[in-house]
Amino acid sequence: MSRVLALLGKELADLRQNPAVFLPAVLTGFLSILLPFFIAIIVPQFAGERLSDSSDFEIAVEMYRRQPSMRALDPEGAIQAWIFQQFLVLLVLAPVAGSMSVAAYSVIGEKQARSLEPLLATPLTTFELLAAKVLGSLLPALMLTLACFGVYLGGVALLAQPGVFLALLTPSSLAIVFVLGPLAALAALQLAVCASSRVNDARSAQQIGALIILPIAALLVLQLTGSFLLTIPAIVFIALALAGVNAGLMLVGIALFDRESILTRWR
Amino acid sequence: MLLGARCVLTASHLTRRFGDRVAVGDVSFELAPGQIFALLGPNGAGKTTTLRMLAGLIRPTSGSIHLGGEILTPQNAPRLRSRIGFLTETPGLWDRLSVRRNLLVYARLHGLPAPDRSVDEALDAFDMRDRARDAAAQLSKGLKQRVALARTLLHRPDVILLDEPTAGLDPESAREVRELVLRLRSERRTILVSTHNLDEVERVANRVAILRSRLVAVDTPAALRARLFGARVRVVLAQQAGPLARVLADAGFSDITADGSSLSVGVDDASVAAPRIVRRLVEAGADIQSVAAEEPPLEQVYLRLLEDEVRQEPPTTHGSSRS
Repeated sequence: MSRVLALLGKELADLRQNPAVFLPAVLTGFLSILLPFFIAIIVPQFAGERLSDSSDFEIAVEMYRRQPSMRALDPEGAIQAWIFQQFLVLLVLAPVAGSMSVAAYSVIGEKQARSLEPLLATPLTTFELLAAKVLGSLLPALMLTLACFGVYLGGVALLAQPGVFLALLTPSSLAIVFVLGPLAALAALQLAVCASSRVNDARSAQQIGALIILPIAALLVLQLTGSFLLTIPAIVFIALALAGVNAGLMLVGIALFDRESILTRWR
Repeated sequence: MLLGARCVLTASHLTRRFGDRVAVGDVSFELAPGQIFALLGPNGAGKTTTLRMLAGLIRPTSGSIHLGGEILTPQNAPRLRSRIGFLTETPGLWDRLSVRRNLLVYARLHGLPAPDRSVDEALDAFDMRDRARDAAAQLSKGLKQRVALARTLLHRPDVILLDEPTAGLDPESAREVRELVLRLRSERRTILVSTHNLDEVERVANRVAILRSRLVAVDTPAALRARLFGARVRVVLAQQAGPLARVLADAGFSDITADGSSLSVGVDDASVAAPRIVRRLVEAGADIQSVAAEEPPLEQVYLRLLEDEVRQEPPTTHGSSRS
């Protein structure tokens, strides 16, 4: 564990020295949280129409009228709560997508800087190396997610209908941000680090890692169309599946990490 | 060969293939404490591959490595690596991090009990205290190499593997590295240095191995010279040497070459033959300016051994793009 912390400390120190590398993640995170504010608040204000006047949101009104936390809201508030809750998934996704470049570059970057061989010559095991590399991109992504979530809640409290803010603090919303988000991020970044140790181009690793975006995007679409709702049992099921995927990815990552090929074949 | 019990590191019949290509073939040697063992060879001769196998970074296709009596395996490699210090061909520092941070990470990776103190000691030992806060990217090539050496020795390894430690360094930095290597030898550390710098080997190495995928020769520099060129005595005269060569021939010396005012005489033992040569020349009226045992430079030994090897070698798949 101490070796993981030692290398993790290096990863974070390196990021602090080069914060620009995380700028895309910050931008993606904060831009993504603007989107629901446009849909739920800014566009209706400019158009001079209420969301509840449109029949497009009837599903949302029906869905949330059934939930106890929504019953106190008027139709406009219920629709806003529905929109803000759906986009929580995007809030989880955006920082991960942004920090993907950090993960994708993690092993290839060491190789290109010729710092991998001295590192491999220490007692560091493959598990320790990969764990530190994944955590080095995961922790900043989680911090960014938390920051985005704080800004998101603050924005909702200030701009949305009264009561919408409280409707976001449901167990399922919090579980999406604090359980599903980190687990999905871990899976995505592990995939990117695994790819980083196999391919010799950071762009390839980034593209492979980005595959994790597909199921999350699908989840967002399913929610928006009302085909699927992230209830607590659904969240628990997905979280367990993601935990299994993460354990599997670590084992696969260790098996795929071929020190000899990296040292002798990469240029 | 050395006695096994005294050896810190033993390589037995090490072979490493990459596909059909033999990078290292059937290489064996032993290293004792306090010994500086130089690995010489042309580019692609398998020096780096040998060092990587010894450092537990890549596995030999066949053969074995014993470190302190324990056989190196993939299972115990992480543990045994803590007894080895490996200076890689390039410093491989983290450019954005400070010198201190670079060393501190390694001190922690090696699990040193007081990493900060160890780093301070290393900075003092390598005279880098005033550059401790500088980013590694700001250092000159020589200073980067110094930090890399400090990193290699941070955990006080028994066995130190140095891959071309003075490559690209200016003469002053190269001398500092040589002095450090000699200091390490005096601390009874075992050092294996891979280099192209024959002058450096001449100055520091106890034993020399010449590698060209397989071992061409292993011995002390003096023994290699004697094996190839025999012992010779060189006499520099105040007059032309030609006429005096006859005097030595009459005295029973057979291998004599005269070049201007100097004579080179092949002998069995220079210390026994030199007084006899001097006596005969003085008796013949020669004015002698200097007498010395003739030592061909190691470069000559090295080139001769490689030439002999190439002549004897049947067509094989030896050789590589990268050693």
